[in-house]
Amino acid sequence: MSPAPAAALLAGAVAAALLADRLVSVTAIALVLLVVCLRAPAGRRRLYLIGVIGSGIAVFVVTPFVATVGSHVLWSGPTLPVLGELDVTREELYNGLFQGVRLAAVGLAFAAYALLLDHDRLVQSARFARRSVLTVALATRLVPTLERDAAGLVEALRGRGVEVTGTRGRARLLTPLLAGSLERALNLAEAMEARGYGRAGATRALRPPWSALDRCALAGAAGLVALGVLWL
Amino acid sequence: MLHECSLELEPGEVVALLGPSGGGKSTLLRALAGLVPHFHGGRFSGRVDVAGHDTRRVRPAELAGTVATLFQDPEDQVVFTRVAAEVAFGLENVGTPPAQISPRAAEALAAVGAGHLAERLVAELSGGELQRVCLASVLALEPRLLLLDEPTSQLDPEGAAAAIELARSSGAAVVVSEQRPDRILDACDRVVFVENGRLRDGELPPAWIPRDAELRDEQPAGAPACVLDGVSFAYGAVPVVADASLTLGRGEIVALVGPNGSGKTTLAKLAAGLLEPAAGGVEREGRACYLSQDPGRYLVRERADEEVALAVGGDLSRARRALAELDLAGFETRHPRDLSSGERERLALAAVLVAEPDLLVLDEPTRGVDPERKAELAALLRAQAPSRATLVVTNDLVFAGDVADRCVSTAAERERALV
Repeated sequence: MSPAPAAALLAGAVAAALLADRLVSVTAIALVLLVVCLRAPAGRRRLYLIGVIGSGIAVFVVTPFVATVGSHVLWSGPTLPVLGELDVTREELYNGLFQGVRLAAVGLAFAAYALLLDHDRLVQSARFARRSVLTVALATRLVPTLERDAAGLVEALRGRGVEVTGTRGRARLLTPLLAGSLERALNLAEAMEARGYGRAGATRALRPPWSALDRCALAGAAGLVALGVLWL
Repeated sequence: MLHECSLELEPGEVVALLGPSGGGKSTLLRALAGLVPHFHGGRFSGRVDVAGHDTRRVRPAELAGTVATLFQDPEDQVVFTRVAAEVAFGLENVGTPPAQISPRAAEALAAVGAGHLAERLVAELSGGELQRVCLASVLALEPRLLLLDEPTSQLDPEGAAAAIELARSSGAAVVVSEQRPDRILDACDRVVFVENGRLRDGELPPAWIPRDAELRDEQPAGAPACVLDGVSFAYGAVPVVADASLTLGRGEIVALVGPNGSGKTTLAKLAAGLLEPAAGGVEREGRACYLSQDPGRYLVRERADEEVALAVGGDLSRARRALAELDLAGFETRHPRDLSSGERERLALAAVLVAEPDLLVLDEPTRGVDPERKAELAALLRAQAPSRATLVVTNDLVFAGDVADRCVSTAAERERALV
């Protein structure tokens, strides 16, 4: 499948997850996207899945304490300044679960986009907003690039006999990683300018025409949005 | 950075820019590409005229195609994830007719010997392969002025000669900045020496005059500090090192040479204990330290002395002594990112030498280092050699000859054991 219809299909899944108002519908979308993500190599998908599942669980845990919904109280706690009386209702738990799964579905769609799509072909097939598509593609590469940089820093430290252990040890790498990213961004911007990026009259290499599968994917994306609005 | 420089280039002429690190070579190349002053700012006087365009009036992007620049660090100039798209990027920007883009990209890749890499991910390439891809990206543009900033820093001697010849045969006026004069002097029409921001004519300083590599072949010596016995290693399904054996004796310096992609770095990491072999065994005596070929990995702390002290438990006095040995006295409180590329190389060296290891493994320690500094580094390593075993991975055969007691090649490594 060409990357543009695949991206449209993922966008359709995200729209359906945001429009749907039933837990079972959102869960089904999240599960399908999880299966899609599992096609990526284990080493690459691990970080994305940890992030997505962690965020979903965080939303599920926090929502009952910050929302005030429902009358079926399951637990009553103390009264705290600012937050008021802490309690957990059945409706809040359901709402937390729903929002958590919804966030996971959106995150999994992004993970599938980052892990499985050929961003080069996506940029090259963009018929409009090419700059924006290129920006998104470069931003998507940030995570794997940071992973690679972090691995390089850790290796160089090991090469000096310094082991990086624990959360504190890893946290110390954040500043050099950020500074390295900024430096690279500047170098890349210069290289892009020198290669003519942004000048008028740019062309695109010829691409093969869309297949029947690509057209079906595009129709499927539109169908998902309609489904989200009408039935899910 | 530059003072009252005048330079005229004829079509088809190849000019070698030589000079010490920080002398202004890269700034001169950027001025020719219009990136100085447009991208970097600064005070600019005088005039740069490229093919009838005044670079102060025309944006660098508008000059692209007429001018093509290959930057020093191939890792920092890659936009796309796949090789073919990367080479096509410049062609698309300059408005090449769509039907010509893919054929021209494929032709440029084939010309640099990287045709087989077209569908590979950029992140999977070795430094040498990536440098070839970046060279293909600029050659594909068929520019009138080709600016190459240390284009052979990660290439083996054969690859370097082929790259320079390719640039020469492009028909463009070519300006090549180089730290290894032996790689460019035979192929260039003119030499310009850049020092302290000024262009200098006349004879080259003695250190810059090319000489033949005098590789020594002494017998392995000293008690073994590291023994690799029939080691093999593969990245995924791709075997990189197969059944290799190598013994490093205390007191000797061994240079590991060989073509790009032949497994030199992998073997060095196996020796240093950064990788575990899939088969075979590695025995080491005492502490091992490894210097990566990327000095950007030695920028963890916010002061140079603290960076160096990392390897010795924060002992700042030892760190300062190590900095002084690498001619970085006075840089102790500087932020490592404020150092020039040559200074960063020396900081990285200080960061591993400070530990006084029993086994020292250096991966391409002369990348971006000028001949004078290289001679100093060779003298330092020779002076410290008796206390340790040293393995130097390098494509710089002159340096290998200067520093090493013996030379081991990975060229025939796939078929037979090394030593």
